[in-house]
Amino acid sequence: MIFTIFKKEFIDTLRDKRTIITMVVIPVLLIPLLMTISIKFTKSKTEEAKNKALRIGVVNLDSSDSFEALLLKIPNEFGQRDFFKFKDTIELKRKVKNEELDFALFVPKDFKSSVDSFYQSKLKIYFHSGNIGMGFKINYFEEFIKKQMIAKRLKKLQIDEKQINPIEIKQLDMATSKEMLAQIAGGILPYLFIIFGFMGCMYPAIDLFTGEKERGTLETLLTTPVLRWQVLIGKMLVVILSGILSATFTLFGLFLSMEVFQLVEDPKIKDLIYQILNVKFILQFYFIFIPLIVFFAGFIISLALRAKTFKEAQSTIAPMNAVIILPAFVGFIPGIELDWSTACIPIVNVVLACKEMIADTLYFPHLILSFGMMIVYATIAVLFSYKKFDNEGNLFL
Amino acid sequence: MIKVQNLSKEFVLTRKLQKEFQTNNKKNIAVDDVSFTCHKGRIFSLLGPNGAGKTTIMRMLSTLVQPTSGEIEISGINVLKEPREARKKIGFLTGSSGLYARLSGLELVKYFADLYEVSPQLFEVRKEKLFTLLGIHEFQHQRIGKMSTGMKQKISLCRTMIHDPEVIVFDEPTSGLDVIAAESIIQLISDCKNSGKTVIFSSHIMSEVDLLCDDLAIIHKGKIIYNDSFEQFKSQMTTESLTKEFIHLIHQQELS
Repeated sequence: MIFTIFKKEFIDTLRDKRTIITMVVIPVLLIPLLMTISIKFTKSKTEEAKNKALRIGVVNLDSSDSFEALLLKIPNEFGQRDFFKFKDTIELKRKVKNEELDFALFVPKDFKSSVDSFYQSKLKIYFHSGNIGMGFKINYFEEFIKKQMIAKRLKKLQIDEKQINPIEIKQLDMATSKEMLAQIAGGILPYLFIIFGFMGCMYPAIDLFTGEKERGTLETLLTTPVLRWQVLIGKMLVVILSGILSATFTLFGLFLSMEVFQLVEDPKIKDLIYQILNVKFILQFYFIFIPLIVFFAGFIISLALRAKTFKEAQSTIAPMNAVIILPAFVGFIPGIELDWSTACIPIVNVVLACKEMIADTLYFPHLILSFGMMIVYATIAVLFSYKKFDNEGNLFL
Repeated sequence: MIKVQNLSKEFVLTRKLQKEFQTNNKKNIAVDDVSFTCHKGRIFSLLGPNGAGKTTIMRMLSTLVQPTSGEIEISGINVLKEPREARKKIGFLTGSSGLYARLSGLELVKYFADLYEVSPQLFEVRKEKLFTLLGIHEFQHQRIGKMSTGMKQKISLCRTMIHDPEVIVFDEPTSGLDVIAAESIIQLISDCKNSGKTVIFSSHIMSEVDLLCDDLAIIHKGKIIYNDSFEQFKSQMTTESLTKEFIHLIHQQELS
């Protein structure tokens, strides 16, 4: 009987445009397309910024040309730069404010004499903080000028730089490329799976429970000899399958992004991604992900059963997305790892387990505990939904 | 046969429902100590104004709602003790029940046949008979969502009868239908009686009652205020029409 109900509900669900859009179209096409567009757009903007000459204003009150000579020594790290000379700061400030100049330098008239006589000269840099991305370029210029001036002074004083700079620090990154990629992918992948898993469950649950109540078909169904729990399980299986399919299509969408939309151009990174998305990862992922989807299904069905209309159900369940997003976001926060306590928190344990799987640093007992806890939460959610389904007050309008 | 004895149903009113019904009462008695018998081969009409408790009784008969107290027996089966067995004997049709719009007529009827565990051979025989009788063949593969009200009604009837029930419960089956669509239901109720089935139907359309009824119970505010044969009712009438007599009875009850 459960299979009869499941089969009918699945056919019915597959014929529902809304479900197909949420379950297939968005994860397979829309997400890869949006990701590709946004990545390509950012890339083209970065390229554009790289090729664009920096517009630097200069007010040099010092009669010597030593500062200008220094400016010319600055390497073209950020592409071309054009210097614009000004007599005073009035026009200069206006142009910086209007972002006609990227930043401007003010050199006082005693610049060379102060430096030469071992005094400290004050150099001013005018900038506009709304000009995003300019900060680190200014820092680079500042550091370069400072270094040059210090080197010059040390030479004059006949001091070796090493004498006042006793250590040279060299940072050596011990993380493997896979671990580095896991930091990024470990946040994004579980986040996408959880969000789409939840959304995949949402529409079928509303349609199969609130929708049936609203359309008056549930009453007829419950007059058949099928037991109430069998009806619930038959329908719930469709909700669960929709959630799983939705997440699977997300995975497929990512594959499409790489293969069709050429989202990842570097073949090394591409190879690494395929190394991550191996059979072991997929099996481990579904092992922990399926109980989460059962938990979602039980939870959403309970809410859908309380609602009287499709609209009411939608307005109750849709905000739950925000509740799900919060723990799903944990994957992006560095320093939070899967341990004995985080393994007990629903959603968080799945996200962190998934992150560890990607980095290949998963401690198997943690996965078992996470799975066990998710089974407990899923059982509670299913029993709760049965309690709601068995309550005649929830079944009729 | 349907045997109902001292049937009562109380609903607990939540705050939301108290607001909806504009009452401070924590409980609402929808059905109050109701007893009646529907005989095989006869049509029993349950008559009453809106909110009288007709639908609650029909839902209790169909095992959708649990009674607070009382007994229901359907074809010798105690509904409260063996609800699943009782459901196998019942065909249930209401005016408000919908159909699955994304299924075809044939798919829907087959689905319900499977739920009632009708064997494939028996399904073919019954389907053929009902499809021919109701003229469903031409549109059996059409999606229900694209069908006219009349077509949908025929599918509903077929769905109700596919397991050949002994007892048929019709809860305001013609509400919202035009005369032509209602006609097929009236015909089916009549056919059920002729084939020896037990039929109970609730309505507030007097012309239907006049046309079909053998036995009659009038219910008001959850209580039975009249229960006898329709012939007896007509012979005791003090007004010139069924409608007027019904209103008169309700008013009398209100005053007492």
